[in-house]
Amino acid sequence: MSNIQQLPSRQVSNRGMEGGRRSLCRFLMPLSFPWVLLWVLALGGLVLMPGAVLAEVPNAVPPEGTYEGEHVEQPIEFPHDTHADVNKINCMYCHTYARRSPVAGIPPTSKCMGCHSIIATDKPRIKQLTEYWDKRQPPPWKKVHDVPDFVHFTHEKHLKRFVFDNEGMDVENVAEVCAFCHGEVKKMTVANKVKPLTMGFCRRCHEANDGPFDCWKCHK
Amino acid sequence: MSLKNVFTDWSRYRKGIEEGGFHDYEHMWGMAVDLNKCIGCNACAVACYAENNLAVVGEEKFYKGQAMHWMRIERYWDEPDLGEDRVKEFNHHGANFIPMMCQNCNAATCEPVCPVAATYHTPDGLNAQVYNRCIGSRYCSNNCPYRLRFFNFYSYYESSWPEPLHMQLNPDLTVRDKGVMEKCTFCVQRIRAAKDKARREDRKVRDGEFLPACAQTCPTGAITFGDLLTLHTPGGGVGETKVAQMWRDHQVELGKTRQTKQNPELRGYRVFEGLNTDPCVMYLERVREV
Repeated sequence: MSNIQQLPSRQVSNRGMEGGRRSLCRFLMPLSFPWVLLWVLALGGLVLMPGAVLAEVPNAVPPEGTYEGEHVEQPIEFPHDTHADVNKINCMYCHTYARRSPVAGIPPTSKCMGCHSIIATDKPRIKQLTEYWDKRQPPPWKKVHDVPDFVHFTHEKHLKRFVFDNEGMDVENVAEVCAFCHGEVKKMTVANKVKPLTMGFCRRCHEANDGPFDCWKCHK
Repeated sequence: MSLKNVFTDWSRYRKGIEEGGFHDYEHMWGMAVDLNKCIGCNACAVACYAENNLAVVGEEKFYKGQAMHWMRIERYWDEPDLGEDRVKEFNHHGANFIPMMCQNCNAATCEPVCPVAATYHTPDGLNAQVYNRCIGSRYCSNNCPYRLRFFNFYSYYESSWPEPLHMQLNPDLTVRDKGVMEKCTFCVQRIRAAKDKARREDRKVRDGEFLPACAQTCPTGAITFGDLLTLHTPGGGVGETKVAQMWRDHQVELGKTRQTKQNPELRGYRVFEGLNTDPCVMYLERVREV
């Protein structure tokens, strides 16, 4: 098992990111005065830009890596931003199984209708939803974040580690933990895959956060 | 790569033997199979097929030795120890049965030969097989003295589970494709579920909380499954599991190539332990009426 830990992490494919880092180094090579000033300003601007950097989650190192997922057409263009960002609804209010089961789950239509039989009933998307509700059919949502069948991932354990057993972590801020693997969904309408969710992505995070390394924890 | 794996596993094993206990193990899952109770009904094998998504290969491939029964009942009609003249007599008594599943050897012979480290020893004392890493060299199967590793020579998905039979597949497990070695896992998905539950409730896994499919199904209760970790505690650990108690009762010890029993009447033995594989499955010899 120990030899698995010592595999150089660059074997795991995330070439886009590392290529970017290397070219950044090449840019930094001329370290003359005006260049340094320029870079300090640019980097400072990035850090200070509101919303560009996530708030900190205590006792956790967020996983690195990005991915450009294709836009997935959903039956209703569900606005995550309106719910999670504007109205500040907790992720786990709708994805309620995340805290106690392997899958986060999609809420039953009755949960949507719990609010939307009263709120914003005149909006076209809500009308669409009401149609499904009247037909007694759930909207055929499509899965965006899917890991292969040979991977066993549990939301429950990850939430336990990063939220419920994490001192100084407020459950209100759970979106920041979700964003580790799902990106900033609260800035999107329908969710889009923005993290690679490859084995390398998982492993780097397990390495940084002292996660288990046994193969049979995730594969079997 | 695999050589390093060997050294890690081996030094951990030696340390476990020399220091009187596998202290860095979380558990050491083991079994005791009472052959007196075994009636050879094959229910365990059927349960294994259902639980572990095992493909049915068909008669023709079975004769070629390509069957993938992680759990099988072996039959014997002779008892050579009794001498030539008695063998005939025993034939009238019918066959002897011995259920064979992966013995989860502590010093497993399959582990050192894997060129890609697809098989290794987990901190649960299990001999793990990582399907995604397996390249199908079949060295492990050739090196297993028990012949309990099985190779997917073909892709059986469509032939074995035509629609709508694919609905019966166990979602907790991978469906293996061709070119991959597979073996009994002591139902690792059940082990994991029990451990997860125990962790959620902030306690240790209780003895008998879960059983592998074979032990659960056995109509006569011939298979006992549990944690062997307390076996090294001298004088019997507090809260010793049932299976460890059985090992102790029959004076079978881990880390030995030959058992030294004070009472030779005791029935416990391990298959091929002279090969120093140190299996975690103990069998209780069958006693026959002469």
